[in-house]
Amino acid sequence: MTFYGIIFYLLAGLLLISTALAVSRRRLVHAIVYLIISFFTTALLFYLLGAPFLAALEVIIYAGAIMVMFLFIIVTLQLEKKEPERESSLRVWLPAVVLAGISLALTAVLMWAGSDHGHLLKPAMASPREFGGYLFREFWLPVEIASFLLFVALAGALYLGRERTNGQKTTDSKPEAS
Amino acid sequence: MVPYGHVLILSTILFFMGAGCALARRNLIMILVGVEIMLNAAGIGFVGASLRWGELAGQGFVLFIMAVAASEVAVGLALIIFVRRHTGSMNADKYRLLKG
Amino acid sequence: MKAILFLLIIFPLAGATLNGLFGRRLPRKIVEIIACAALLCSLLMATAAIINMGGGTFNFVLFQWFQAGDLSVAMDIHYDALAAIMALMVTFVASIIHFYSVSFMRNDTDYVRYFCYLNLFVFSMLVIALADSLVFVYLGWEGVGFCSYALIGFWYGDPVKATAGKKAFIMTRMGDIGFGVAVAVLFAHFGTFSITHINPLAATLSTGSATLLTLLFLFAAVGKSAQLPLTTWLPDAMAGPTPVSALIHAATMVTAGVYLLMRLFPVVQQSPQGMLVIAGVGAVTAFYASLSALAQRDIKRVLAYSTISQVGYMILAVGVGDMVGGMFHLLSHAFFKALLFLCAGCVIQALADEHDIFKMGNLDRHLPGVFWLMLVGALCLSAFPTLGGYFSKDRILLSTFIQPGIAYKVCWALGMSAAFLTALYTFRMFFIAFLKRPDGKKASEMHQIPRFLVIILIPLAIVALCDGLLNLPFGVGKRWLGHFLFSVPGAVVDVRASTDLFLGMGILSASLSLSGIALAWFLYRRPQEAREKGWRAVLFSAFYLDTAYRYWIVQPYRWAATLLWRQIDEKHLDANIEGFGISFNAASLMMRVWSTGRLSTYLKAFLVGLAGLLCLLVGRVTLW
Repeated sequence: MTFYGIIFYLLAGLLLISTALAVSRRRLVHAIVYLIISFFTTALLFYLLGAPFLAALEVIIYAGAIMVMFLFIIVTLQLEKKEPERESSLRVWLPAVVLAGISLALTAVLMWAGSDHGHLLKPAMASPREFGGYLFREFWLPVEIASFLLFVALAGALYLGRERTNGQKTTDSKPEAS
Repeated sequence: MVPYGHVLILSTILFFMGAGCALARRNLIMILVGVEIMLNAAGIGFVGASLRWGELAGQGFVLFIMAVAASEVAVGLALIIFVRRHTGSMNADKYRLLKG
Repeated sequence: MKAILFLLIIFPLAGATLNGLFGRRLPRKIVEIIACAALLCSLLMATAAIINMGGGTFNFVLFQWFQAGDLSVAMDIHYDALAAIMALMVTFVASIIHFYSVSFMRNDTDYVRYFCYLNLFVFSMLVIALADSLVFVYLGWEGVGFCSYALIGFWYGDPVKATAGKKAFIMTRMGDIGFGVAVAVLFAHFGTFSITHINPLAATLSTGSATLLTLLFLFAAVGKSAQLPLTTWLPDAMAGPTPVSALIHAATMVTAGVYLLMRLFPVVQQSPQGMLVIAGVGAVTAFYASLSALAQRDIKRVLAYSTISQVGYMILAVGVGDMVGGMFHLLSHAFFKALLFLCAGCVIQALADEHDIFKMGNLDRHLPGVFWLMLVGALCLSAFPTLGGYFSKDRILLSTFIQPGIAYKVCWALGMSAAFLTALYTFRMFFIAFLKRPDGKKASEMHQIPRFLVIILIPLAIVALCDGLLNLPFGVGKRWLGHFLFSVPGAVVDVRASTDLFLGMGILSASLSLSGIALAWFLYRRPQEAREKGWRAVLFSAFYLDTAYRYWIVQPYRWAATLLWRQIDEKHLDANIEGFGISFNAASLMMRVWSTGRLSTYLKAFLVGLAGLLCLLVGRVTLW
């Protein structure tokens, strides 16, 4: 058990706990905050596994932008005003747990059956310079496409989120909210 | 450091935790959170694989996963706003037009 | 010559087509003119053909019909003396009937259909008369059957009449089975359908196959000509308009069976047993029908049974090998029976659709023209000496008598009895309907009928009176018909009998006829009520043959059909198919559970799929 190994297991434990808490919180804001912790931990994990640039990106994009967006929406829509939903009935989470558990077991068996799972990872680091150069050389097209995708998402979000002035009806009739 | 399998196991557990969240929660926001967890787990798996084989392509792919996750969350949240404005409900069970 | 024969057949067909396609748009007069003109032109063509041809034979092909491998069927014509006579008779009688129909159906609005079918019928009959290929004959055969159904059930609004049409069609159709099988057997033997080719080869047939063929063709003839056992359709067929009865059931369709046997006579001749059966059927039918006619009340039914009886004579003639005698009787019968039917039509119309002879009477005063015409017809039918019917019937009976064997003597006896009964029932009908009665029709009850109806019958009456001249056994035109038909295979000109036998038979026939008339005079000159008990009831229902058929054949069939319908079709087949549909519905209802419209359900489905795939993978990896 090397030093890096211990760090890895600690980070893994933290990650699992914070994700589990995020999944199970009743109040939305709590869940988001736990998720932010989870993302931070993931960033540390990335750094440990030799991807410092990605660690930074994880913090910036995931924890910094996406989660902020979530919080923003929660605040804008005042989603915490109402009473938190009480749907912790067995009928609701039992199928999910069962299915997830089965799939997990199966995946574990798959992995165990493979021959590669015991390979010890060697610590390494990919500096941002190398990574940038690599992206520029090999992945320039996906980068362009990703920017295009972001633009499309921007346009879509703008369209969907715009304020309807009076008289402008939506295309479909109101969905049933029974 | 650690055996490669352990990284993968971590990634898998996170993934199915995210799947369970998407399945079990009724709030639309929590479903999206579940999706985010799943994407993140995939990213961990990719980085582990990149370290295993010493290829930078795995890390590159994680970049794109992040880009896709960002755009998808943006659009998803815009949809949630839209839906919330028109029906006032955040419960996924309330939307039943596709029934039957 | 070819053109003449072609036009002969085509004119009625063209008339039918024109009337069928355009009749509703044309004025009534034009439709009638087209129909009658078509027939007149056919008559002209028939006369021209007979003059042109004399007594010889002429064959030609109209056109190739279809070809399949070795089988090649053509529409071809075999015009010999027999066909010449038949065509002339058919066109002549049909022309008179067409003119009569114009006046008879003057109040009917459905005349287009009537004339179209009437023309079509004449076309089919001419096809039967002239055709060489048996398949072509079959076309005409079926054509007359269909037109007969259409015309008998002409007033189809009345279910009784419509049923009569159906009955006629179905019963004659049964005979057609015999025709079809016989044609197939002939083809199997000779490889050809053509009469001209089959007849010379007939001698090569074994007695067994010849008997089989004879019996099959006899069955077909029995169906079309209403002989036993298929007689029951003809009395019911009187539901059709009277001109139809005159044409179809006096002159043409019922003689088609006899004609067929005559055309294929060399084949029939090869089987002595077959000939005996033919003669037997003819004689028994003649006797049976004349007995049944004795108790009928409807004037047309008397004539119907009379037709059955007289056609029985013709069949008897074929059975004893006397084609000339049969043809002679066919001609005489056509003329006087058509005359009788048409006169009956006049009477029926004058009495506002009254058919029952017991409700008539006093008609000699009110309808003098019809009275004399009907008298002429009745005398011919009863074989009054010196008239046409006398010579033809006498010849047939003579030919029967001289045949060896006790069976033929029995046939002769039946024929003689039937001749006596013929005179009896004919004049029974005549006296009851026409003589003065205190309770008969008064002048006020009579309806006016157009004089044309009566006048058009005069040529027919003249021909009926004089048609004895066709084949007089002595004198100037001695055996003219016999000589004319000499070239037809199987015809014998002279009946080989001694002069004594000949004279004796003649006197016997004459005395039977006269005594029959006398007995009728004694029995029926005073008013009679209709009695229906006892033996009269048996005769009235024609020995319950119809009832027997209904009980033994029709009802079991209906029972079986209902069984198949209710039990098997509805309960099993339909139910199975419906059950199939219902099970589909049920299955889709079960699947409906999955489309709840809720997001969580669909996500669950995703995960289930994923788990399934992983399962497969694991199985693949670990278990191989």
